[in-house]
Amino acid sequence: MTLTPLKRTGFGVAAAFALALPAAAQELTIIRAQDSNHYDPPRTTAQSGAEIIFMMSDTIVGLAEDMKTIEPLLASSWDVSDDALTYTFKIRDDVSFCDGKAMTAEDVAWSLNRWQDPETKSPVRWRMGDVKSITALDATTVVYELNAPHSELLYQLAQSFGSIIDKDTFEALGKDFGVTGFNGTGPFCWESWTPRDKVVLTRHEAYNWGPANYENAGPAQVEKVTWQIVPEAATRTVALLTGQGDISPYVPFIGYSTLRASPNIKVIKSENAFWTNYMGFKITKDLVGDVKVRQAINLAVNQEAMAEDLFFGEVEPAYSYVSSGALDYDTSLDDSLLKYDPERAAALLDEAGWILNSDGKREKDGKVMEPLTITFTGEWQQTSEAVQADLLKVGIELQIEPMDSTVYWGKSATDEFEMYVMGYPYISAGDALNLYFRSANIPTPNRMNWSDPETDELLVTGSQATNETDRAAAYAKVMQKVHDSAVWLPIYHRPMQIGYSTKLAPFVAHNIYGAGLYKGLQLAFTE
Amino acid sequence: MISAVLHRLALSVPVLLGVLLFGFLLVQIVPGDPAMVVAGPTATADVVAAIREEMGLDRPVLVQFWSYLQRMAVGDLGRSMISNKSVTAELGAAIWPTLELMVGAMIWSVPVGVAMGTLAAVVRGSFIDRSIMAMSVAGVSLPIFFISLMAIQFLGVKWQIFPFIGRPGPWYTAEGFMALFLPALSLGLILIGPVARMTRSSVLEVLKLDHVRTARAKGLSETRVILAHGLRNALIPVVTLIGLQVGYLLGGAVVTETIFSWPGLGRLAVGAIMSSDFTVAQGTIMIFALGFITVNLVVDILYSLLDPRVRK
Amino acid sequence: MTVTTTNIPSTTKASNGIKGDVSQEITAPVRAHWMRRLLRDRAAFLALLTLTIVILGAIFAPMLATHDPASNSRSVMTPPAWMAMGKAEHWLGTDGQGRDIYSRLLYGARLTLLIGFLAVGLGGFFGSLLGLLSAFNEKIDPWIMRTMDVLLSFPAILLALALVAVMGQGIVPIVIALGISSIPDCARVARGIAIGVMKQEFIEAGRAVGLSNLQLFNRYLVRNAISSIMIFISLRFGQTILIGATLSFLGLGARPPASELGMMASQGRDFLLFAPHIAVIPSILIFIIVLSANVAGDALRDVLDPRLQA
Repeated sequence: MTLTPLKRTGFGVAAAFALALPAAAQELTIIRAQDSNHYDPPRTTAQSGAEIIFMMSDTIVGLAEDMKTIEPLLASSWDVSDDALTYTFKIRDDVSFCDGKAMTAEDVAWSLNRWQDPETKSPVRWRMGDVKSITALDATTVVYELNAPHSELLYQLAQSFGSIIDKDTFEALGKDFGVTGFNGTGPFCWESWTPRDKVVLTRHEAYNWGPANYENAGPAQVEKVTWQIVPEAATRTVALLTGQGDISPYVPFIGYSTLRASPNIKVIKSENAFWTNYMGFKITKDLVGDVKVRQAINLAVNQEAMAEDLFFGEVEPAYSYVSSGALDYDTSLDDSLLKYDPERAAALLDEAGWILNSDGKREKDGKVMEPLTITFTGEWQQTSEAVQADLLKVGIELQIEPMDSTVYWGKSATDEFEMYVMGYPYISAGDALNLYFRSANIPTPNRMNWSDPETDELLVTGSQATNETDRAAAYAKVMQKVHDSAVWLPIYHRPMQIGYSTKLAPFVAHNIYGAGLYKGLQLAFTE
Repeated sequence: MISAVLHRLALSVPVLLGVLLFGFLLVQIVPGDPAMVVAGPTATADVVAAIREEMGLDRPVLVQFWSYLQRMAVGDLGRSMISNKSVTAELGAAIWPTLELMVGAMIWSVPVGVAMGTLAAVVRGSFIDRSIMAMSVAGVSLPIFFISLMAIQFLGVKWQIFPFIGRPGPWYTAEGFMALFLPALSLGLILIGPVARMTRSSVLEVLKLDHVRTARAKGLSETRVILAHGLRNALIPVVTLIGLQVGYLLGGAVVTETIFSWPGLGRLAVGAIMSSDFTVAQGTIMIFALGFITVNLVVDILYSLLDPRVRK
Repeated sequence: MTVTTTNIPSTTKASNGIKGDVSQEITAPVRAHWMRRLLRDRAAFLALLTLTIVILGAIFAPMLATHDPASNSRSVMTPPAWMAMGKAEHWLGTDGQGRDIYSRLLYGARLTLLIGFLAVGLGGFFGSLLGLLSAFNEKIDPWIMRTMDVLLSFPAILLALALVAVMGQGIVPIVIALGISSIPDCARVARGIAIGVMKQEFIEAGRAVGLSNLQLFNRYLVRNAISSIMIFISLRFGQTILIGATLSFLGLGARPPASELGMMASQGRDFLLFAPHIAVIPSILIFIIVLSANVAGDALRDVLDPRLQA
């Protein structure tokens, strides 16, 4: 019987009524909130880029879930010279790209050289250290030479920016690489990308060189992965509940309790969550130039109440600039952290000369304390409003200017505000400190305008340290300095939480750069 | 009629040029910085400057405008400043979903609206008439976002009949059709009210006219009178109304596309304007203007077909 | 042409059977009773009453509110008082930040109505001005009308988006955008009406008597067209409020901690699954305002000019 179009649609409609179609068990849908600009590894710094690049390509070394152990990946082993200036990587000889071509040390060297090439304009070139040269000695050996030691090189090489891609495909596609096509060695291959809608990946059948700490080193256990963009937060929660999505690391905080209560959904959490949300001070501005004022603001804000009320208890209130679980975090910092103490805040303000006037606002030399903060619209706006309410209680009238994210980036590099908001991922204390506290990084990402020669020196010592103790000591000193100067107002540390359908086998959440699913090798449907 | 159409076309040219100019000027004064968007929050100032240079953003405005015109002349809409994807490709991918949405909305709401309006006119003054008119006014007064959210809440979440996330495929596939249902339903609801009201009043007008009275006098049944003689004339202002409503529908599509994650032009335009993606923003503005001009043209043609007085 | 002026010079009385003359006789009694007729229509009466209540509520918000609309509290997402877990203290519940919804509604209505009035006023004023000028002066007529066409090509929402992108968030760009979007329609209507008026004999008569263009403009055009233009404006009010709320919903509009009804609905989006009242209640208020405006506007038009019935 030939099906007329009408009948076919009718059958289609009837079949679609059963929303859970068993035939699609080999296809995974991952729900996320934002898209990346494109998918070119050294030029894409967005979390939404990294999470896909990890699936489509590999790096020389991998990082285990504990965020501290380096695992072999494309390199089966490596040697570091005594002066810590030369790294010799032994590259596997059984790796191939998605198009079948064999990958050699040449490709590795080429990709890494491209990363550090000024022409590529990679915003994260500094992560590579002070590179002297990167060469492929033969088909399976890459020598990475530095001019000065880089204590965290291996951690940085595990990031998505150092992913190895195919030179020929890049030369063929040019500007369209990472836009209309891609060729990497990862467990999944690029099929299509509809910007702001979805990315579709298919399994790389030949893959079997996954990071050593994974039970399954390849190939992937699902045939097809669709990363679907859903901008509405509530809709993402509902998508999981109704089975329209199988996994999501982007559930709004309010949704987690509903997900946990649902019999079809499991929620996993990674304690090694290195993502901190904070508000920064432009310390060169008059209103917040006095360290006592900044300390007072820190003391006046009740992060714990915010974590409970605004974030439904799903986050850890932050008083330090990096999470206490991060590599090189110094626990002796804990005693000097500024927690919630509005009385002490008021006293500090009085000490600093900011007295309450008749309107209940702080005033000094005829000026009223009305600092301006810029913020993103959305969750950050709510956070800013909560801070605003807390500060009002000690007589500080915070002004809020919300703007859309892209306008925000431009504005945040100017000096037209006293405070700003930011959230960021990091793998270690050193990673965070080097990013934000180098004077060379003014005006961005060092938006605080923190310029201190001693800090710069200590950061160099730390990043060039040849052993862990020296490194930790240098970074500990920097942390104490910047915390004492209260250059930030930390808000919360965000744990990695992923909601997923019980149709999937349990897995462990990763935390590298916020990419909770990392390479996707552990994702599988239970039958 | 041909001359009228040509005349209309000729008048459209300065309009289009005006839109082009407007589009260029508008996105030039946007305060966003696409270079910083591309560089990301952790980039240092020198990298941002290098990227800005690469994008050509540091050239004087007149130079940028000239190159813009040159590109437009050959139909090269450039590349997205953010994704580097060709603008034509992005627009092409987004037009179809929006068309599906708008056609999907109109294909059920216009006949329903016309039917309701006609019914109301025929039983004028009765309870049915008043109810239909009341529903029309209510329909026009409901915020679009509310309709969409309620549709998701009940039909999508509570009773889980329809999916409401994204567009899994074109409308003629099973999943695509199911996914189109809710957004098209929500968007269409805003059109029924005006269409019904307009139909009702113009049917009433027409029923009073001479040639209709003549038809009645000849002994034709009321139904035939309405359908054969009345409706055709009554539809003229309705057709005009639909043409005018397309713009409003497009605005509604922006909200609907956002709430349903529908990958259409509305969402593309919002995203582009918000992310200072100049080239894509210019492209979408052009498409909207072109679309609107086309719709007006079609409406004019239909008008002249329906109204014998206009035809030569 | 319904003209509610009685200042037509005596020269026209001599010409019988002319539309202007006839309508002058008809409208005199209509004008006297249009207010009464309007109020006699039950639906219109209810609509006007509702609008008045809302407007009064908005004006007296500071006195009627039970809480400060900007102050957070720790009782977040409390449902309305008549539901389980509701509190009498917050009879309409609280939002995601613990702010009292009833108080925010009052202040929110203020903003929403303000935006509507300003936008319609702006658009109506400039639109009518342009339309009347256009009808009166044949040289600039095509230029003005082509510019109107260009403006019409932009859906209001996209125009507002672009303006907000340029001027930043706030009420001003929204009002300007909505005002500009109303201009083409107002201009067209004003022009059409004005052309109709101009064709009438008393204009020619006036010219014959030697009145200048400006005097003619002042005496006849403006006055004769005003009532119809006002009807049109009152019909646009509901539409404008709706688009304004939708724009606030999309994230443009007032800055925090101000509340605007569309913005409140948008903030409630994230809680739709768990505390639907946060989004639903302001949406319903928007609906009530727009519905009342539309019903009242319809009735006003029916009463003032039945021949405009659509």
